[in-house]
Amino acid sequence: MAGEKTIVCRCEEVTLETIVDTIEQYSCSSREVKLRTRAGMGYCGGRTCRNVIDRIVAATNGEPIKDELQLSYRSPIRPATFEVLGGGHENES
Amino acid sequence: MNFDVIVIGAGIIGCSTAYYLSKAGYKVGLVEKGDIAHGTSSRCDAVALISDKKPGMDTEIGYRSIEMYKELSKELSFDFQFASRGSLYVCETEQELEIATGYAAQQNRDGYRLQIVDQKELLEIEPKLAKDLIGGIWTEVDSTMNPYLVCYAFIEEAKKYGLSLFTNHEVREISRGVKGQIEKVITDRGIFQTERIVNCAGVWASRIGDMVGIDIPIRPRKGMILVTEKTDQIVNQKVHEFGYMLSKFEDINYKRNVSKLVEDHNIAFTIEPTDADNYLVGGHRAFNGYDIRSENQVVRGIAERAMRFLPELKNVSCIRTYAGVRPWVIDHLPIVSEVEEVPGFYIAGGHEGDGISMAPITGKMITQLISGEETDFDISRLKFSRYQEAIIS
Repeated sequence: MAGEKTIVCRCEEVTLETIVDTIEQYSCSSREVKLRTRAGMGYCGGRTCRNVIDRIVAATNGEPIKDELQLSYRSPIRPATFEVLGGGHENES
Repeated sequence: MNFDVIVIGAGIIGCSTAYYLSKAGYKVGLVEKGDIAHGTSSRCDAVALISDKKPGMDTEIGYRSIEMYKELSKELSFDFQFASRGSLYVCETEQELEIATGYAAQQNRDGYRLQIVDQKELLEIEPKLAKDLIGGIWTEVDSTMNPYLVCYAFIEEAKKYGLSLFTNHEVREISRGVKGQIEKVITDRGIFQTERIVNCAGVWASRIGDMVGIDIPIRPRKGMILVTEKTDQIVNQKVHEFGYMLSKFEDINYKRNVSKLVEDHNIAFTIEPTDADNYLVGGHRAFNGYDIRSENQVVRGIAERAMRFLPELKNVSCIRTYAGVRPWVIDHLPIVSEVEEVPGFYIAGGHEGDGISMAPITGKMITQLISGEETDFDISRLKFSRYQEAIIS
């Protein structure tokens, strides 16, 4: 990648530098990188940066990418308003 | 490897316990099957309240813990986003307000400042609330923080006192001597010699209990949360419906006028701001084993209930949902105790939804217990043996 100021997580504006520093300081997993930096916690739910984070962690720690899921997927599959999520339900009481 | 104490579980309770023990000079090993804050402590909300506690000991411990967090936020080098924002209960009906008023009066008699507010004051404090709500309770002392950052903060500080952290170490067996005393903790990646164990395994505490032949009656109680997008200010503080108390404690006799969906899933509205400008919207309680999948019906019920109190949420997006399991016990008081029949075995757990709230005082009292010092509170009601006595009587 071009430079350390490269943005990895666009939603939370987390740079490559921040991610690499975090991995080096705490020798941590993708999950811990997420919690410490918020990379992958933004609007798109990590759709853009998830694989990149996994790769950076694997490369920095010098370990192969694990098969097990480090960063989990959560519903909804795309952002939806409360009206959409809570609508269509009549008061039945 | 040899340790004075092995703490099992690096959730909020284990992290706090490891911190206070290390600070007191013990050589501590913290053993965790996953990462730090791998279970409930990263699948929760993030408040330390007195206003969701029962009057008496529950509140006293909660209050002391908030005081400790205030000090910790200055002492610890790692920022865990602590803020005293206050919290607001909202009431839908006269009857609800009456129960709330009685509750607040009792807390006030005990010296805690819970202030009853009327409809007008309610909207001054939180202008975006629905206009038909009739009043509520405002509690100044209630605070928020980031739960997993608290875990990191405790660990960071404890390492300065010599803590050894073993993540990705799953406890498989506990071996004991001829008198039943603790001798070894055997994990999938190594054996630790120790005479003392503190079981801080949260919802998994009963599995550790099984390894020494005791039945710890902590059961998982699920809760779901909806995360909003970053958005303009919706509320300034934790806001929840007074019905939340009714979903937490089964013995309060009051039935809300809510939809079948909300009723069936034991959903009670709660919202809190985070430092990242997202809002966490809940809440829900269900016994569903260790399942932490998101449930569409619960999402729907939470969204429906939330819009009733904050109509503006209608146009706000939910970007993520998650669920966690709370370590529930039947009498809603944590277990902070030695176990007489297993010398050297201690339990700190069963905080249900109050683990973040009560972590500092719990860690401190376990440390006092192990050191043979007098505990800050009389913890006879928190003893593990209360369950055995209950069975006999």
